[in-house]
Parts: sequence; structure tokens; C-alpha cells
Amino acid sequence: MKSYLLAWRNLWRNKRRTLITVASVFFAVFFALLMRSLQLGSYDHMFRNVIESYTGYIQVQNEDFKDNSTVDNSFDFTPEIKQLILKDKNVTNLVPRFESFALASTGPLTKGVLVMGIDPEKESLLSNVKERLVRYKLTDKAIDTLKKLNLPEKVKSKLDLFRGESYSSESILQLDLGIKDKEANSILPEIKRVTSFSNGYLTAGKKEALLGDKLAKYLNLNIGDTLVMIGQGYHGTTAAEKFRIAGIVKLPTPDIDNKIVYLPVDVCQDFYNAPGMLTSMALCVKDNNDKAVNRTLRSLGQELPSPLRLLGWREMNALLINQMDADNKSGAIMIGILYLVIAFGIFGTVLMMTTERRREFGVLVAIGMQKSKLAGIVTFEMIYIGLLGILSGVAVALPAIIIGQYNPIRFSGEYAKVYESYGMEPIMPFMHINYYFLWQSVIVALIVAIAISYPVRKIYKMTVVNSLKA
Amino acid sequence: MKKLLKTLFFSGYLISTFMVLSAQGLTAAEIIKKADEKFNGEKSSMMVMSMTIIRPTWQRTVEFKNWTMGRDYALTLITAPAKDVGQTFLKRGNEMWNWNPSISRLIKLPPSMMSQGWMGSDYTNDDIMKESSVVNDYTHEITGEETIEGRECYRIKMVAKENAAVVWGHQVRWVDKKEFLVLKAEYYDEDGVLIRTETGSDIKDMDGRMIETRIVLTPVDEPGNSTVIIIKDIKFNIPVQESFFSQQNMKNIR
Repeated sequence: MKSYLLAWRNLWRNKRRTLITVASVFFAVFFALLMRSLQLGSYDHMFRNVIESYTGYIQVQNEDFKDNSTVDNSFDFTPEIKQLILKDKNVTNLVPRFESFALASTGPLTKGVLVMGIDPEKESLLSNVKERLVRYKLTDKAIDTLKKLNLPEKVKSKLDLFRGESYSSESILQLDLGIKDKEANSILPEIKRVTSFSNGYLTAGKKEALLGDKLAKYLNLNIGDTLVMIGQGYHGTTAAEKFRIAGIVKLPTPDIDNKIVYLPVDVCQDFYNAPGMLTSMALCVKDNNDKAVNRTLRSLGQELPSPLRLLGWREMNALLINQMDADNKSGAIMIGILYLVIAFGIFGTVLMMTTERRREFGVLVAIGMQKSKLAGIVTFEMIYIGLLGILSGVAVALPAIIIGQYNPIRFSGEYAKVYESYGMEPIMPFMHINYYFLWQSVIVALIVAIAISYPVRKIYKMTVVNSLKA
Repeated sequence: MKKLLKTLFFSGYLISTFMVLSAQGLTAAEIIKKADEKFNGEKSSMMVMSMTIIRPTWQRTVEFKNWTMGRDYALTLITAPAKDVGQTFLKRGNEMWNWNPSISRLIKLPPSMMSQGWMGSDYTNDDIMKESSVVNDYTHEITGEETIEGRECYRIKMVAKENAAVVWGHQVRWVDKKEFLVLKAEYYDEDGVLIRTETGSDIKDMDGRMIETRIVLTPVDEPGNSTVIIIKDIKFNIPVQESFFSQQNMKNIR
């Protein structure tokens, strides 16, 4: 009888033992896959959030701008360049930006601010400034009115805690005030009505500005007030202008919230005496996978005239990538520990099996079976067990991951608030299936292969007499 | 008494005659003072100038008018380019203001801004407003005689006085012997490192005086950068009152 057939029959001679060993491999593969998928998925999610909400996958800049971000290192955005870029099939739209610094002042207060010229309509393709407009505000007046209403005591006590706070989304207002979902329907509409804050947006060509919430508080400015900005314009000119405040935005990063001023890009260019110039131009791409983006970077990069250059998202987000790498390392250590546990599990079952069958091996060799043939049979057995475990692990993990990809793990409560305030969905998605699947399986297969060496070695070193006595 | 006065008068006369006689042997301080007064007017002056800022990749020209009265009063009005028209700078004593019509704001420039570039040029606010005095804030010494572009010059070393509020450690100026024009100046920091050089050329008759009308300022550590000032018109000792140099006038002057 062929040894692989013998091995197969051996497996089912003791079903329970086989199933325990298969299960140890199965869980190894299943958990390794799930863990890795979640890790990679959350990195991917974070990258996409940053890229799609701010930098875009590709940007055009003056080659000196990255190292020396001054107005003088802006570039002239001519119709020819626009045509050249739009000729690339992967590029669907262009989002212009003009970034610089200025001093913002009102009365005796002055503060250095980050001025960001944006296209009011196109910007919604990337960072959605419109959605950041403050909608609800817990002003002193609103709080006084709310206190007279019939609200739960718990909500009333929270009002003072968040006095003066601004909200751009209903859900965070609800969370801050500790309103439970089942209460929300009855009391939230009233709170929204009392706290509602009327806000405007930018219009191209109008000398109007959007201010960060914290900056507006510092400068004590409100909608309709005048903001004076003075700074250095293009080629050392004086940039000085008055702007009407059209709206107030609430940005998640306090550091930016207390210094950002948004202007329509054309007004911003005028302000800095740089008509037609941009500091960066973000490209919206149709295909955002690495391969397509790299192809666009390469082909377009060659065509663009000096001093323009293309920056890929990796280059623009170098800091974020470094942080992710560091996090990935700690993830790898976790996976390593998981493998160690798995390896000992598999090894333990193999050890048990070998000891259990010591007498059987002894009898087989005593009646004339060659040790090499016996070792071959045991090896086949282990290979079958390994394959069964890996395949069943993959088979169960696959649908779980696919389901998880479309129904990601959703955070709630505080966690959700943190995620949402950064403009991210509060979810932890699984990574779609790719190479990492194969790798996890290969690593578990290697662990099984190492485990095989133990019974094989045992068989070769076996003395028949001792085994028979076992 | 009469005799005493007469004696005093006579001796005063003698002294002044002596000074005139030794005109060719002026002291360094007197040469600098003469050159300064010649260029800036004994009492007051009005200049129409253009300033071209030259950078390796671009250049830009600003035109302006400048009124001065003595050391303490100065008013500068930008007349081009269009975007900057109407901006004025006022100096009264130790204080300096900037009026910007597009934001209708009067900004007082703090002393910390005096060493910063004026309108993006290599000239500092201090240079334009002449806060420090080349006569009173330095000790002067003639260190030689040299010829610059065919004109005989005194080479005068000016070391900043210890308690004077000046940005330079010392300066070296080459002053034309005949016309008392500063044809070349070198500016050194406290460590004696050359920071920038200034040269004057295109000497023309302006309002009855021979004046250099083209001044080039070159910072040493920034190759390719320079600022060129061309004097288009100059009027000396114009009838101007102290009231002219007022914050009110900053907003109205055209």
C-alpha cells in the first residue's frame, strides 16, 4: 500500500486526535489572518482618510516649495499646464490651493495665522471645509434658554461644562451633552433649534474669510465682522487687506483651529499680489491604487516643465508613514507572539500524538516495517493535518474578512467622537484580501513543517525493545 | 566790556578763518557731516526715487517720494506699483509709523523691526528712516586717501559709539574730496565681518548740487541679490513745516 494512502487512513483511525491537531492549526491560521487583516485595514483606512481629506494622492508644486514654503516659491498655473495635466486619463479633477502666512488683527489683538486660499466648490472634493462649518453653538444665551426647558438634570449639568463650545455635527453635540439615543428624538430637535448657529460659506471673488473657531474666539470676532490681515506678498510686496467674516469653521486639530483663515483662492492670490499663482495643486485621481498612481506620477512627471514637480502621497505624508511604520513594527511583534503561541500549540499536539503512538511505532518496526517508510507515513499525516487546518482556517477567515470589509467594526461613545472629530469614520475595517493572506498561510505551514521533525527524529532514534515496553 | 566783546568777536573770527583756511585739512567728522548734509540737505529735502529689488530669479521696482526735515522728521510715500500706492512711512524722532490705505490702519513699527528689510529690499527700515546719525553715533577717523572711479577720495573709518543704537559695528566710507559725495561704503557687523557694500555713481547736477543719482546696495552673503536706487529728482531746503510730518498728513498726502 502506498504510504500516502496509509497516512490518510491512519488519520481517521483516531478521529479525535486528528481533529484536535487540525483545530490547533485552524485557529492559528484563522487568528493570524484576522489580526493582520485588521491591522493592515486600519492603516489603510487612516492613510486614505488623510490623503482623501487633505493632501490628495498627487500634488503639483514648485520644486522649491517643499523645503521653503514661501509665496515666492509658488508657480504660475497656466491653461497649458492645466491641459497637460488633464490629458492624463487617470486625473479627473484639480483642486487649487494657495497657502501662506499673515498677521491677522482686530482692534489691539494680533495673531499670526495660516492663510489658505481654496476653490470654494472644488475643495469639497478633498477637505470638505463646508462640512466643518459650525452649526450649533452653546452660547450663554442658548444655555440660559435651555436651562428653562424641561431637560434631564444630567443634560443640564453638562451645559455648563461645555459652555461656549461649537459643534459642526449633531452627533458630537449629542455625545457631549450625554443624550442617550432613545432620548434624542424627543429633546435633541429642541436643543438644535436653540443652539443653531447661522453660518455662511466662501464665494469666489468675494473678499470674505472663514475663521477657525478658536481663532475667532481669540480675536473676539463674529460673523459679519471685519478681519484685517497684513503680510508679505509675492516678491516682497506688501499684502494688506480687509475681509468680512463669512463663517466660522471647527477643525479637529486645535493647533490648526486656532490659526486657520480660509479665503477664496482668487481673493487670496490678489491679497498676496500673485494673480494666477498657486502654491500647490492637488490632483483627483480615478484609480487610486499604488500602481495607477505611480504610473501617473511617472508619465506626468516627465512632461511637466521646470520648476514644477509632482509629489506622490508617500512624499507628502512622510511623517505619517513613519509613524505607521513604527506602529506596524509593534503589530509585527504582536503577530510574532501569536505565532509563538500557535507554534507551541501545534508542537504540543504533535508531541502528544508521538508519545501516544510510541508502542504502535515499536510494533510496526518490530514486524519489519522500515523506519524510513514509517517516518514517511507520519510526515504525510502531518502534511494532511497541516493542509486541512490551513485550508479550513482560510475558508472560515475568508468570508469573515469579506463580511468585515463591508461591515467594519464600528466604535461608539468616546472613541467614536475622537475618530469623528478628526473627520474619520469611527470604524476599524478589514484589509481586502491580498498577499498577506498567502504569507500567513505559508508561515503556519512552516511551523507545521518544523513540528514534523520531532516525530521523524523520534522514529529514527527509537529502540524497538523500549518502545514495545511503553 | 566793549573791548572784551571785540576781542571775543575777533578771536571768533580768527578761529573761523583758521577753519576755512584749513578746509583742505578737515577732520573726519566734518567730512562725514558735510557729505551727509550735502546729500540730505542742511534743513530739509524732497526726493523722488525708484528702487529696484534684484533677486536671482526676479526683480521688482518700487517708486516713492521722500520728504525729510533735519534728522528727526521723514515721510515716505509709495507711488508705484499700483497695489502699494498710498502707503506711507512716517518718522518722528525715535518713532516710526506705517499707514496702509487698503486696510486703513496706522501701524507703529516696533524697534525690533528696524533691522528688517524695507518693502522687501536689502535696505532696512533703519536705513530708510535714518534713525541713527552717521555724525553723532560714530567716531570718525581718516585712514587714507584712495581713488574711486577716477575721483580722489578720503577713506574714513567710522566706529559705532558704545551706547549708540546702531546695527553696525563699523563702517568705512570713501568720500569724494571735491564734491563730498559718498562714492563707496562698506558696512561691518560687531565682529568686523563685511555685511554689505554700497556704491554711488552717475553724478549729476540736481537742484544746483552735484549728487550721485544711482546707488547700488549689495549684501555680501547673498549672491545675486542687490537693490538699486535711482534718484530722479531732488529738492534741497524746501519750505516744509514740522506739522507736515504728522499722522494726519500720512493719510492725505498724494
